[in-house]
Amino acid sequence: MTPGTSPGRGGRPERADGPDGATLPDDAADAERELAAGTAPSGSAAAGGRRISWQKWTFMPAFLTAALLATWLWFRGAQLDSIAHQAVDHGKVWLALRQHIQLTAVSTFFVLVIAIPLGIALTRPRLRRATPFAMVVANLGQAVPALGLLVLLVIWLGIGARSAIVGMVIYAVLPVLANTIAGLRGIDPTLTEAARGIGMSPLGVLGRVELPLAVPLILAGVRTALVLNVGTATLATFGGGGGLGDLISAGIITQRMPVLILGSVLTVALALLVEWLASLVELLLRPRGLEVAT
Amino acid sequence: MSFWEYVGSRHAQLLTDTLQHASAVFQCMVIATVLGVALGVATYRSEWAGALATMTTATILTIPSLAMIGLLIPIVGLGVAPTVVALTLYGLLPVVRNAIVGLRGVDPALVDAAKGIGMSRTARLFRVELPLAWPPILTGIRVATQMLMGIAAIAAFASGPGLGNEIFRGIASLGSANALNQVLSGTLGIVVLALLFDAAYVLIGRLTISRGIRA
Amino acid sequence: MPEPPASDPSATRAAARPAASTGAAIHLEHLTKVYPGNPAPAVDDVSMEIKAGETVVFVGPSGCGKSTTLKMINRLIEPTSGRIRIGDEDVTAIDPVGLRRKVGYAIQASGLFPHMSVAENIALVPKMTGWSKARTRERVAEMLDLVGLDPGEFHDRYPRQLSGGQQQRVGVARALAADPPVLLMDEPFGAVDPITRDHLQDELIRLQHELHKTIVFVTHDFDEAIKLGDRIAVLRERSHIAQFDTPEAILTNPADDFVSGFVGAGAALKRLNLTRVRDVAVVDFPTAQVDDPLQSIFDLLRDGATNEVLLLDRHRRPYKWLRRSDLSRAKQSLARAGTLVTDTVTRDATLRDALEAVLTDSAGRVAVTGRRGEFLGVVDMETLMNNVHELLEADRLEALEHQHELQTLSAHRTQLAQEGLDGVGGADGGPGDRA
Repeated sequence: MTPGTSPGRGGRPERADGPDGATLPDDAADAERELAAGTAPSGSAAAGGRRISWQKWTFMPAFLTAALLATWLWFRGAQLDSIAHQAVDHGKVWLALRQHIQLTAVSTFFVLVIAIPLGIALTRPRLRRATPFAMVVANLGQAVPALGLLVLLVIWLGIGARSAIVGMVIYAVLPVLANTIAGLRGIDPTLTEAARGIGMSPLGVLGRVELPLAVPLILAGVRTALVLNVGTATLATFGGGGGLGDLISAGIITQRMPVLILGSVLTVALALLVEWLASLVELLLRPRGLEVAT
Repeated sequence: MSFWEYVGSRHAQLLTDTLQHASAVFQCMVIATVLGVALGVATYRSEWAGALATMTTATILTIPSLAMIGLLIPIVGLGVAPTVVALTLYGLLPVVRNAIVGLRGVDPALVDAAKGIGMSRTARLFRVELPLAWPPILTGIRVATQMLMGIAAIAAFASGPGLGNEIFRGIASLGSANALNQVLSGTLGIVVLALLFDAAYVLIGRLTISRGIRA
Repeated sequence: MPEPPASDPSATRAAARPAASTGAAIHLEHLTKVYPGNPAPAVDDVSMEIKAGETVVFVGPSGCGKSTTLKMINRLIEPTSGRIRIGDEDVTAIDPVGLRRKVGYAIQASGLFPHMSVAENIALVPKMTGWSKARTRERVAEMLDLVGLDPGEFHDRYPRQLSGGQQQRVGVARALAADPPVLLMDEPFGAVDPITRDHLQDELIRLQHELHKTIVFVTHDFDEAIKLGDRIAVLRERSHIAQFDTPEAILTNPADDFVSGFVGAGAALKRLNLTRVRDVAVVDFPTAQVDDPLQSIFDLLRDGATNEVLLLDRHRRPYKWLRRSDLSRAKQSLARAGTLVTDTVTRDATLRDALEAVLTDSAGRVAVTGRRGEFLGVVDMETLMNNVHELLEADRLEALEHQHELQTLSAHRTQLAQEGLDGVGGADGGPGDRA
């Protein structure tokens, strides 16, 4: 199936290996290390799929195409009354899909722009003392339900896509930040020492040693953000932010199953597609030397 | 009406919602744990089956929860049923994955030693392998529970039980004076529940993880 | 943790220990193991007879199949063909789980379960075989005491709170807990440091003196094999037996180039590993107790009968060497006089250990101690020299005799062959039936 759904680098469960952060601040550092270490087994588990085989390239698109085709054919044949028509007419499906993709893309962009530099900053010597604190916040943040966060922002900032995007960014920054920090702190200190030892500047060490070595974890963070955002974007409908959630909620509220199923299938397909694309990108961008070593 | 006044006047409703939320998450988590550990035990010996179990559950987790609930409604109807099914499905992945990783991580020399002193297959599993794999499994359960807390809120849209109803009442009355109070009480309630559960897991860890392997 | 605490209750317990079941003979008959996908057998047609109560060491280069052979005895690895008999029972086809409960098994790095306390680890097999709780509890304390760990101190510890040597002791205790007649040990001391390993080997020898189990021990270290084995099976690839004989015989009379290559250089020095301090005369030495009145110690030294006394602590363990010359400085207290005893050897130590200790001691002698560390006597350079000469002489005579035997035999055989009556098998007279 999707190459990226290997253990340890999945979407949300990325943080599964870092326990205790929220309740035991002292363990935050340990948790991080474990988090970084937690990706190691995934490397070996996915070792068989390290090279992208043709199955990996073709299975997911084929599956999605088939599923979408089947849904479309079924939907064409379904009996739609006026209420259902109203929900899907006038290009509303395309609009919802476009909105959904936009929401995801924009929020992911901001997540990356915020989380990665912040992660780098928090691992510099001067701010290093703040890292455990950031990890605790990141873990605590996970306890806040996305729905509640989004709706609170809507009340505060008003109805619309803007509140949705702000909420999605806040919600997804934390895991990506945690991943970036874990990736940078998980680097073997002898390597950075060696880099300093051969006369690299701090910037050189960061750019030529630390970041390349942390790329796998950062990429995993990016994927996490994407998958999270596709999911959270469905909730934008509750704050008037549009997206495929509109179709689902319309389907549930009006009790029109065809609309509900169309919306759900499209959302699932989009989520799986995004996850698949992200995992491909992750495989392609991963530094060559780290492929086997992880 | 201030937030605390609101909580005071609605405490009965809030308490019911909180208890229902907690009990839904707890029960689904129990089912997910039993199923997840069973799946892990059934598949960890085979590279192929283990990968399949992890990938399947990971794919389920990729599906946005609202869409999952949307797909479940035509099958099981509205109310508690889609909530339970969805929560259980989402709870599976962390447990399955950590069970497999944990069971595979048991030192083969120990399994060999267990065999060597005459433990049967079942005894090895229950006396040696599962106790040693328990810490990562418990971590998986913790992570899953935290996730389910948020998903349960969304399930209220399909007439599920719990604090999500409070949030959706707030959405329904958006613009009214009480909207903020309703959403805030629902959200904070979930946060508090999540933290309480987390603390409970720390306690469970203390009680169930042998001192010999505790970090 | 080489020093077993000198607690008295455990000593009485040791005395009260019920008669343990002693070893059972093991017969391996044409054991072969072929792994699927590999036409060459990993173990090829091994037949061997291990007598009840003896320690047999399998030694050979890595990958020679010695471990595989061992694991076939408790059927952790199922033999492709051949039979295994333990005592009078053919165990080739019985339930392997039941079999393994009757065969102790100790492995490298102890194989202790980290989530169970020391006591729980040891109690595992007795519990599984259905011992009562009280009996199991008693047994655990007894086993801990047997391997030289204080039950009170170690009962509730977890494996990670123990040193490597202690873990290994617990591993042995666990293997012996249900009192199996047979003990299999797969490179058990491979993962500990040389000093601890030495101690553990001594302990195992002491244990075997008490218990008389049948022990099959796998190692790749020939010195360890010499030290521990009543007989040694030198194995080459596919577990073919190159020589199966007593250590003395292998050292003085290696069967072929493979064996002599494995024995390595310094056979005379290695010979020292075969004799233990208990086998040579231990010289008595004047001693005094720490608690003795100062005056009596002074008198002892001033009498002129001796230049030096060994001062013992309250548990009669060697404490200080005290010379007459030290007394002048002693004045009213012995606290700062004399030299502390830094090294002692047990009765189970090899002569090589003793020689080592004697060579490093400035005065050329070492105190010999018993099980609880109590003083038994002294070994010095002279004792050692005399003993070594005697040993080497005896070995040489024996080897000559052996050679002579072989010559007579082959002469006999030639004669028979010449007479056309070649019915004598080639097996008798070969190495292996020396006393």
